[in-house]
Amino acid sequence: MSVEQQDLKLKASENRGKSQLEAGFDLLGWDEVTQGSVLPSFDGDASNVAHQKAEEREYSDYNSYTATVASWRVQKPVFNIDVCIDCQNCWVWCPDSSILSRDKQMLGIDYDHCKGCEVCVEVCPTNPKSLLMFNEYTDLGDALASWPEKKKKEKK
Amino acid sequence: MAVEFEVNEREVWDGNYAASQALRQADVDVVVAYPITPSTPIVENYGSYVGNGYIDGEFIMVESEHAAMSGCIGASAAGGRVSTATSSQGFALMVEVLYQASGMRLPIVLNVVNRALAAPLNVRGDHADMYLGRDSGWLQASAFNAQEAYDLALCAFRIAENHSVRLPMMVHQDGFITSHTAQNVYPLSNEAAKKFVGVIDPVDDMLDFSRPVTYGAQTEEDWHFEHKAKQHKAIMDSVGVIEDVFAEFKELTGREYKRIETYDMEDADVCVIGLGSTVESARVAAKEMRKEGVKAGVVAIRVFRPFPYEEVREALKGCKSIAVTDRSSPGGAMGAFYNEVAAAMMTSKSRPLVTNYIYGLGGRDLSIENIKTIFKEQQANADAGYITTDIQQFTNLRGPKLGFFKTERN
Amino acid sequence: MTEIRWHSRAGQGAVSGAKGLGDVVATTGKEVQAFALYGSAKRGAALRAYNRIDDEQIFDHAKFMNPDYVLVIDPALAMTDDITMNDKETTKYIITTHLSKEELIEAIPALHDKKDRVYVVDCVQISLDTIKRSMPNSPMLGAFCKVSDMFELDYFLENMKRVLAKFPQKIIDANMEAISRAYNEVN
Repeated sequence: MSVEQQDLKLKASENRGKSQLEAGFDLLGWDEVTQGSVLPSFDGDASNVAHQKAEEREYSDYNSYTATVASWRVQKPVFNIDVCIDCQNCWVWCPDSSILSRDKQMLGIDYDHCKGCEVCVEVCPTNPKSLLMFNEYTDLGDALASWPEKKKKEKK
Repeated sequence: MAVEFEVNEREVWDGNYAASQALRQADVDVVVAYPITPSTPIVENYGSYVGNGYIDGEFIMVESEHAAMSGCIGASAAGGRVSTATSSQGFALMVEVLYQASGMRLPIVLNVVNRALAAPLNVRGDHADMYLGRDSGWLQASAFNAQEAYDLALCAFRIAENHSVRLPMMVHQDGFITSHTAQNVYPLSNEAAKKFVGVIDPVDDMLDFSRPVTYGAQTEEDWHFEHKAKQHKAIMDSVGVIEDVFAEFKELTGREYKRIETYDMEDADVCVIGLGSTVESARVAAKEMRKEGVKAGVVAIRVFRPFPYEEVREALKGCKSIAVTDRSSPGGAMGAFYNEVAAAMMTSKSRPLVTNYIYGLGGRDLSIENIKTIFKEQQANADAGYITTDIQQFTNLRGPKLGFFKTERN
Repeated sequence: MTEIRWHSRAGQGAVSGAKGLGDVVATTGKEVQAFALYGSAKRGAALRAYNRIDDEQIFDHAKFMNPDYVLVIDPALAMTDDITMNDKETTKYIITTHLSKEELIEAIPALHDKKDRVYVVDCVQISLDTIKRSMPNSPMLGAFCKVSDMFELDYFLENMKRVLAKFPQKIIDANMEAISRAYNEVN
């Protein structure tokens, strides 16, 4: 699969990670903050939200979905769709729900919320691994091009 | 459907029973409780009203007062009308959670039957627990007798749940002196009370699935200050609603409540300002002083938080010498109530003399004679033009006279 | 203002007695107060309960009082407790005892100069006979009713029935008998 094809599948909804959590210039004054620091998760009627996919939901500005919290990540996991067997191990283990999967098909990483903890790489059972850590600035194409070969079993 | 509980036009109730009847008539949805002397009968009675079918509510027994207030928070955040009661050590254990309730702006009504804090262990009334809650962000009202414990509990739901207030509220009554003293109480009919209190219109209720919300957000230095400032402003601004609700209650019952109450103050030279049942005894003492030629008056704080600084200044500005009575061990300072009154009077034009009396700790009696002595000392101050005693004195205490801090204005 | 002080032991019903009395008095249109000094008191510990009765709202919340009536419902406390403390020249004493009035006064020096203000009635025996256990509070109410002349016996009984309404009929009847007997026997 080409780099472009894999990248296309990783496209997020429009409002995911749109704001920086650390941004200080547009914080609200005491007269504008919510009463009791109670924060609504969605804009508008959310009665049907359980039946919607994440990218279809109208997450509010108060929801962490709309903020990116990954600016301090040093290393990122890169996902290789050609090796993955869709076992969902990484999806189960990811502590930040940053593995994007749909209908038990691995789609990629939510880089707005992934902290780069490497748990997904650790639990990936394939050979070679379908998730590997790269420097944050590594280009996806370069990362996939440098993917290791299948490791042969050593003879005892 | 609930069974009708019969109330007569005139009852003889103690403060606890009166408060529990207010909870019944207000149709409280949830009471989460860990009963403690002397407030036990309030929640106990609520439990029996639920058990006997007089109200459709939930009575939840938990493992501590910390859990009791936590449960109240959950039920209130869910959107219910919620109340409980506590005293003393139980109140102290609740403190951490009191701040959560007020910070989340949950309109819980807490009936506090004031009792001393150990050690040494004591079950009787003083205001140590009330003072412990004074910075907790709750509104605090003080009842001087059983009737008022009932009336103010009903008003508290209206005030707390008002959308422009949305703050939890405590109704204080004195342990035993009020809570266990049966007096004539003139309750509202069930129908009238229900109509007055109304049905809660929840805000940000967690059971509204069309609008899921997060309670208990974390805010560091970039947000916390703004949230606390907004909360403080709401407390200060609750004055209007408190006065409106009191006015409506007067319309309904003829019983008038003000944020501060004044008795014989029109021409008073000396006065006692106090909280709780002492106020009523002081009224009797003031009447007797007037017969003896001393222009004595009494001022009482009905709403302790938000503190009525302007009203206190207005009421006391004509006085020459004022005795501020604190029923809590001050722990190395002037009494907390003294400090509030002194702050108000410091900015008055007349700057009257302000003295501090520590009294009644652990339920120690304060007789009419004791209060008359206080009045006489104020008259001596007024005549001399300066504070002739220690500024802080302990009254009706055994052993050598105990007092601290002298004036420089003599 | 009429002020009443009860001397009793925890468990003898002085608190209920004071509240019951308050309840009945309130029906006559008067303002009442009924309270007690107890809380952590164990059963059998000496305690004092109080009533205030007035035509106007009662503001005095002090425990201190100069009682108009002292009601002693425990025979031993008449001897050991300071039943005459803070009394007045008109204070009337109603004391539970199996002794005659003369024998009782003889035994209590503090009462020697108050002979004409002492009344005796055996509330313990009356309650044992009627209620079938030592519950001297009800009979004391009957005795108080007579000595104070505050209300007619029938009026008092009718109102006590209402106060006791939550109890089974048998207990209500026994209490009515106890009150009536004490009313007639106090001297």
